[in-house]
Amino acid sequence: MSFWDSLLYDLFPLIWSGMITGCLYALGALGLVMIFKCSKVVNFSHGNVAGLTAFLVYGLSSGMLMSLSWGAAVLVALLAAVAIAFLIYSIISPLVFESDLTSTIATLGFGLIAQGVTLLTFGADIVALDLPIPRFAFSVLGLLITGYDLTVLAVAVVTIGALFIIIDYTKLGIAFRAISENPFAAEVCGLNLRSVHYFAWITAAILGVVGALLIVPTTFLSVTTVATFMLQAFAAAVIGGFASLPGALVGGVLVGVLMNLFTFYVSPEFSSTFLLAVILVALNIFPNGILQKVGGSRV
Amino acid sequence: MSDQATHIIPGQSVVSRLSGMATSGLTTAVVVAVLIFMPLLLGGSWTFTLGLCFANSIGVLAVSLLVRYGGEVSIGHTFFTALGAYSVGVLDTRYGISLWASVPLALLLGVVFGLLFAWPSRNLHGIYLAVTTLALALAVPEMINNFDVLTGGYEGLYVATPFIPGIEMGLQRYYVALFMLVIVCLAVARLRLSRQGMALLLAKAHPAAADAFGTRRVWARVSIMGISGGIGAICGATLAFSGSTVSPGGFTFWQAIFLLVGSVVSFYGLSLTRVLIGGAFVTLVPQLLSASGAWIPVLYGLALLGMILLGHYMPRIRKAMNRKAEAN
Repeated sequence: MSFWDSLLYDLFPLIWSGMITGCLYALGALGLVMIFKCSKVVNFSHGNVAGLTAFLVYGLSSGMLMSLSWGAAVLVALLAAVAIAFLIYSIISPLVFESDLTSTIATLGFGLIAQGVTLLTFGADIVALDLPIPRFAFSVLGLLITGYDLTVLAVAVVTIGALFIIIDYTKLGIAFRAISENPFAAEVCGLNLRSVHYFAWITAAILGVVGALLIVPTTFLSVTTVATFMLQAFAAAVIGGFASLPGALVGGVLVGVLMNLFTFYVSPEFSSTFLLAVILVALNIFPNGILQKVGGSRV
Repeated sequence: MSDQATHIIPGQSVVSRLSGMATSGLTTAVVVAVLIFMPLLLGGSWTFTLGLCFANSIGVLAVSLLVRYGGEVSIGHTFFTALGAYSVGVLDTRYGISLWASVPLALLLGVVFGLLFAWPSRNLHGIYLAVTTLALALAVPEMINNFDVLTGGYEGLYVATPFIPGIEMGLQRYYVALFMLVIVCLAVARLRLSRQGMALLLAKAHPAAADAFGTRRVWARVSIMGISGGIGAICGATLAFSGSTVSPGGFTFWQAIFLLVGSVVSFYGLSLTRVLIGGAFVTLVPQLLSASGAWIPVLYGLALLGMILLGHYMPRIRKAMNRKAEAN
């Protein structure tokens, strides 16, 4: 096989599937960035809470806890995610206005609790949780495109599109941007910081559930899968600048593609080390993320 | 929380602070004296567990030191503990070299890799550094498993060469850990009074002023990572010797978070008694709950939150109570 053939047969499918996973990393990263942008907290509980809700969908739809339909189970899980996000923010909100580092550590505590609750309720077993989507596949220019790929792409585009429309055009979105830009001035103008923070935390939780449900069919569902997936989302957020929503999107796709290429061409055993290297290199070249404007400070 | 602790509390006289230091010194001496005689009272398994407590306390101290002097949070200190543990493990099992040589090597490696990690991340702070250390923690188990020629992979290594030949191994594992803990705590207490310590605190509290006085922020960051990494490696070396085995299971991502939990539970304290509390928490909770493993993360999470909320509300409650007392 010539070089170009192998390029066509390996590289493009790898980039395509990397982009699909990257969209999911972006969903996770967007949630992290939304929370960080307004409340300056890195939510380390994001992955574990999303994992818990994915298990909830499994438990409610498989007959383990109840045997609801898939849609009803997802609805209950979304409500649970919203309730959990509300609870977490309510508990740490006094800390948020004092020290962002302390409140960040506090979210680690919630992550541990969410993981423990998952273990206690659903055990350490590995289960399969599929999406109710039609199974089909067709090939375009040598690319095999499956129903799953298109579902992920469609859901990601709709969710992210809706998010950007809300942030760009609605009153809530404008309040969100104002608070991210300058919380003090926003508060002086009469905005309620807490209610906007609640909006960000709840939106992030919903994005987390969507991301978790979409990633699970490619792996299996265990206590750690969603948390591991969210770690890639962390990398995506960092590369995108952690304070930039479009950056999170670009970072997610970038991480997805790079990880895919690395595992295929170099070694699947060093993927976490590679992720570390990518983060360090990206942060050295773009200290504030790839889409951040260059700024400076004077002493 | 950490800021309050490192700054001088207004309204408290120098004399009372000095006497406070003297009493804390006395407490530490009493605690150490009690710990020296502990193996006479306790059985072998408790002596072993206490040795692990001391080793973990050193790790907790490494994390707290970074918080207090660098203002940064690390969730990747298992990288340094793994470095230390594997320098002891590898030198012991492959070459039969005891702690005399492997602890200095561990310290050196810890400092060097602390500096190496700090250099590319020198401009990062706060969350960026925290997430980078998180990536570091994730990379550790994978590196250990893939360098299995040296590290023994999943099976791990068994440390059996005595530190001082002729003395019973169980006692050695205990006293070496205690000795290391005391030495490291003394060194950290010295750091507080040293030029370097002052410069680090200044760079943390007033970066611009530190720049004006000639302490480069980059230097402060890189050096504190080096010191903290070195202490982390000593923790690993002690863990390897006192715990007798070194395997990837001891250096997972969760272990890194547990070190941070220990640091928070001890309120980022740097004194021997404080870090012992953190170390004991990290060591004893999994032991006591080993029958019901799923409760461990829940309990750790609750402890973490409880301590943080306590640290937040305690000063307020105390103030309110003082006000009430004054009103009466």
